[in-house]
Amino acid sequence: MSQNADLTLSRPGESPLPALRLAWPSPYALVVWGVFTLLALPLLATLGYALASSWGATLLPDGVTLKWFWELWSTPRFQWAFARSLLVTLGALALSLVLVVPVAFLAHTRYPRLDAWMSGLILVPFAVPPVVSSVGLLQLYAGGPLPLVGTPWILMFTYVTIALPFVYRAIANSLRTIDVRSLMEAAQLLGATPFKAFFLVILPNIRVGVQVAVFLSFSFLIGEFVFANMLVGTRFETLQVYLNNMRGSSGHFTSALVITLFLFTLLLTWLGNRQAGHAITKGANP
Amino acid sequence: MKRLLPAWLWLVPFALVFVAFQLAPLGWIAISAFHVEGAWGLGHFREIAGSTFFRQAIGRSLEISLISSLLGLIIATLACHSLTRTSGPLRRWMIAFTNMTSNFAGVPLAFAFIILMGANGVLTIALQRLGLIDSFSLYSRNGLIVIYTWFQIPLGILLLFPAFEGLRAEWRDAASLLGAGRIAYWRHIGLPILRPALAGTLTILIANAMGAYATVYALVNTSYNLMTIRIANLVSGDLFLQPNLASALALVLVGLLAMVTLIQQWIVRRSHYVAER
Amino acid sequence: MTTLSGAPVANDSTLASGYLHLEGLAKRFGTTQVFSHINAVIAKGEFVTLLGPSGCGKSTLLRSIAGLNRLDEGRIVVDGEEITALPPQQRGVGMVFQHYALFPNMRVTDNVAFGLRMQKVPHEERSRRVDEVLRLVELNVHADKFPHQLSGGQCQRVALARALVVEPRILLMDEPLSALDARIRGHLRQQLRDIQQTLGLTTLFVTHDQEEALVMSDRIFLMHDGHILQQGSAEELYTRPRDYHAAGFMGHYNILLGDQARPLLGEGFDSARVALRPEALYLQPLADGAMGVERPARPGPECPGVIRRCQLLGNIVRYSVECPGVVLSVDTLNRGSRHLLTEGSQVGVVVDLDEVQAFVE
Repeated sequence: MSQNADLTLSRPGESPLPALRLAWPSPYALVVWGVFTLLALPLLATLGYALASSWGATLLPDGVTLKWFWELWSTPRFQWAFARSLLVTLGALALSLVLVVPVAFLAHTRYPRLDAWMSGLILVPFAVPPVVSSVGLLQLYAGGPLPLVGTPWILMFTYVTIALPFVYRAIANSLRTIDVRSLMEAAQLLGATPFKAFFLVILPNIRVGVQVAVFLSFSFLIGEFVFANMLVGTRFETLQVYLNNMRGSSGHFTSALVITLFLFTLLLTWLGNRQAGHAITKGANP
Repeated sequence: MKRLLPAWLWLVPFALVFVAFQLAPLGWIAISAFHVEGAWGLGHFREIAGSTFFRQAIGRSLEISLISSLLGLIIATLACHSLTRTSGPLRRWMIAFTNMTSNFAGVPLAFAFIILMGANGVLTIALQRLGLIDSFSLYSRNGLIVIYTWFQIPLGILLLFPAFEGLRAEWRDAASLLGAGRIAYWRHIGLPILRPALAGTLTILIANAMGAYATVYALVNTSYNLMTIRIANLVSGDLFLQPNLASALALVLVGLLAMVTLIQQWIVRRSHYVAER
Repeated sequence: MTTLSGAPVANDSTLASGYLHLEGLAKRFGTTQVFSHINAVIAKGEFVTLLGPSGCGKSTLLRSIAGLNRLDEGRIVVDGEEITALPPQQRGVGMVFQHYALFPNMRVTDNVAFGLRMQKVPHEERSRRVDEVLRLVELNVHADKFPHQLSGGQCQRVALARALVVEPRILLMDEPLSALDARIRGHLRQQLRDIQQTLGLTTLFVTHDQEEALVMSDRIFLMHDGHILQQGSAEELYTRPRDYHAAGFMGHYNILLGDQARPLLGEGFDSARVALRPEALYLQPLADGAMGVERPARPGPECPGVIRRCQLLGNIVRYSVECPGVVLSVDTLNRGSRHLLTEGSQVGVVVDLDEVQAFVE
């Protein structure tokens, strides 16, 4: 990489003073830092508020404390909201995997044209804003034969559809990296039924890809508000709805909640990256 | 070897869920938009076109989406270009951070911005002390543009970065040996090659902004007039519910998004650059 | 005129007519010295190859001459003009890259015309020159295609045309054939050389392929570890390497320590290391002059050995011969199956003393 590291493309070839060269960060690094600061500002302000004992209309907080976090984490309503979010998200992901893995597998092996179809289908949840879908969902499932509105079920099922793009892509890519056909053939020649071959041979090998999909979708679903509020609302209060409902209470409290959510997402992203990292070192590519 | 079940049976559960919870609602919307008080007609669309209120919602949604998407794209472009010119830990951390902030939009973001730039926000006070602004309302058009731009930036970076990485250093080298300075390089080679990615990203950003609901709702509830707020209000607000009108407005939204996508496809088709194998 | 200091210098006749002067070039990257003490004088129209293993600094040196890297020390003078401080745009240097570096968003004609466009050459003259150079590289038929529609060899010819059309003073080529199929490589090699000779273009060619260097060059600069080990014609470098590094790189030299070589060279012999070319060793049953086989001009003592392996490489037969203390590689022309020696046969190995390269260390 020595050639690429030398970025002085159009400047004259005099030898620079080494000391001076080290002291100046490149303008590019400055831009990156600038954008980073831009993005970090709201987070930093919130963090400050969450740690401040009180903060009036001044530039700096009056004191530092962790009491808001303790208060938050020991509030039953928060704990219930967290539990509900976890339940719905994990349920949706589990359901997602059960539904999508067979489809991805079949698209990869028996029905190649299905893959093209699926690639198109998974664009639909991306293209349609959740508000729009809610209109239809509310009308179809608010009463009649399938009164799902207001229950966690409708949330779970809609979450399956919005997690679909991530889950399908991750699994499809995983399948692409292992030679599914040869593995299936080898397993069957050794006496396994296609069913068994799939469970004992294919699944373990795409485990990592599946995990990456799960972590990616997890953070995405935890942050989902539109469906949670419009389809279920306070009848099954999940984290984001809880946050919104707490808007009237102390800013410190809500800041602690926001930071908690962010930390949780951070944890999930970190775990997801670790899985992806393991995959790369092991040679498979999620 | 006798199969227990035909293979395609395994596709059915998925198909059921997808149809029931993604396609059926869309179908319902497409049909009910044209249902005016029990009969077929374009009444709802006429109502939307005739109402200044709805027209304002459409206009404002477009305005905020376009401006924030353009600003976000420009900032993301600068960030990506600079990222390709930095290396090591700074680059890795920035990309990881971008990944994380891309999930931050919605209610938490609204609250964070209230703390930062609300009436008593830290930044508001700081800027007032410095004499740079006298009053800034987060709950106005400009405030919304700021927030929207903020959450467009990480998305823009994540989408554009692969395209920038695809610009090979050799092309720059070859161009400079043939007499091209920095501007000539970007004009003849860099930007033309990036054009499909830029257009595609802009489209996604616009779609993202047009469909945004959580952030605005958390910030101003229903008091600011945007398309998504209006649609939601027609199906779950406190006032008189009008689901069919909501469907019509939703179709207008989807229609606008489709138009933006078509324009982008047309731009992309005009570029001759095909990604290398 | 300044004197050149340091390692190998060109012979006096080129000094006066020197077109490209490299004086004391050096470059560091961090704490590593990539190359140093690079001195050379290259005549107008000469085809010089920088040859060496990966990592010896040859590509970095080439890029420094192009102005794509900054030099830490030294001067570069072209046709009397110093270009060390000039940006790449103004050096009058053309370059062909290993992976072609064709602009993917432009057709062949636009790629080739790019440099002329930068020089603000008017449209008609531009078209004419582009046409002319495309005819030179035999690609007129493909003028309207995009790079992704061309094969590797075609891409490289477009890259060459693009570099040539602006009439550079120096042409630099960074392993231009390494990314191509063996078959195309041979053909393009010849074409490149022909074009270069027709145009009389001073050329610096970088490669790690010894055969390429031997076939194409007027002169070869052998590089190792950032230094020029030796420079000279193909013949000089091949038959008279300066030290055992050079010998190790060119051909399939047998490199022996002094003691190992004594049985073949005689008692009066006293050198630290010795390099013997496989074709300069003769096997006794075959070297008796019968049937028109060549014999050594100045035979050394005969050393007994056993054939351990016989490899038929087409027109060459390569034997691995085990002699006391050393295994030698011996090459003979393939004169037919009747003359092949079988594994296990006893032979006598004789060296041609005129072809021995002795090194002090």
